[in-house]
Amino acid sequence: MIAVLAWLEQTAPSRFMREDFYAYFMALIGHAWGMALLVGGGVALCLRVLVLRGDGADAAPWRALLPLMKAGAVLAIVSGLALLAGYPAKALTNWVFAVKFACLIAATMLSRGLLRGDAPAAKARAALALALWLGGVAAGKLLLYTYAMLTTAEVLG
Amino acid sequence: MSGGAYPVDRVLDPVAIVDWAIDTGLYDIAYSAWGWPLAEIVHFSGLCLLAGSVLLFDLRALGLLRPIPLASLHRLVLLGVLGFALNLASGTLFVASAPDQYLYNPAFQVKLALMALAGANMLAFYALTKGGRRLTDAAGIVRTRVRACALLSLVCWTGVIAAGRVITAFRPPGWFWCAWCG
Repeated sequence: MIAVLAWLEQTAPSRFMREDFYAYFMALIGHAWGMALLVGGGVALCLRVLVLRGDGADAAPWRALLPLMKAGAVLAIVSGLALLAGYPAKALTNWVFAVKFACLIAATMLSRGLLRGDAPAAKARAALALALWLGGVAAGKLLLYTYAMLTTAEVLG
Repeated sequence: MSGGAYPVDRVLDPVAIVDWAIDTGLYDIAYSAWGWPLAEIVHFSGLCLLAGSVLLFDLRALGLLRPIPLASLHRLVLLGVLGFALNLASGTLFVASAPDQYLYNPAFQVKLALMALAGANMLAFYALTKGGRRLTDAAGIVRTRVRACALLSLVCWTGVIAAGRVITAFRPPGWFWCAWCG
């Protein structure tokens, strides 16, 4: 595992992401914008169920958020892969990274389910989905504070 | 900040700000074991609420997400205001606990300028739409003034996110930007 990560760190894209002043921060901005669209859309799907009443709360029109959320997901994944390329050991040796994905995948599935107008216990599902969206973002923030190593050089010497 | 290589700030006294943070207990919260990370989580949760309301309202006013009623998204904007309150509280904690790292940081200055513009834009939006009650014309078309405000809001908030994200890239003293210092 560590050997593979050490090899990854020496590839050209990985070195570029670490050494170029602009590349890493451009990827961070792209990741923030992508996540804003994905999670913003997901939060809105939850808030529709939790907050809105009457005609405005009809589920069907809100399917229009899905393409926007997909676009956000693509941007977040592409920029996320660029960030991962720079510091593969930092993310892939941290279990919080797995928690982030578990939260976001579960949130996506629950939020999609909310678009079926007849979803049972919709409010409870929406509250859980909202917690999972925010949990995914929180786990992403915590990556900065919980990593075991920034690069494999710290364990390989 | 006094004496030596850096200009002296007689307008925004960072030492006085930190003293205030210490007196109010904010400083201890910020530098407790999980204080800073938790405040960041609050900050990003607020941002998620803003993105899930204001950002989507802007996109809808500009012609995307057409099936969703504009008025429904406008109702969610109140939660965006709650999100902004979370951002303001956590943001105040950051700035008060390390003022020199923000006040003289060009990314933070750009972020603050964009937030001021977004705030003025919001006031204009509510003034121009009778408090948000007149979003569409008689034919149900989104009014031009609503679209103009939405476009400016979208530019401001995407800019706020971008500038906020790169604050860490412009840490003073390397990027000591103080136009008002002596």
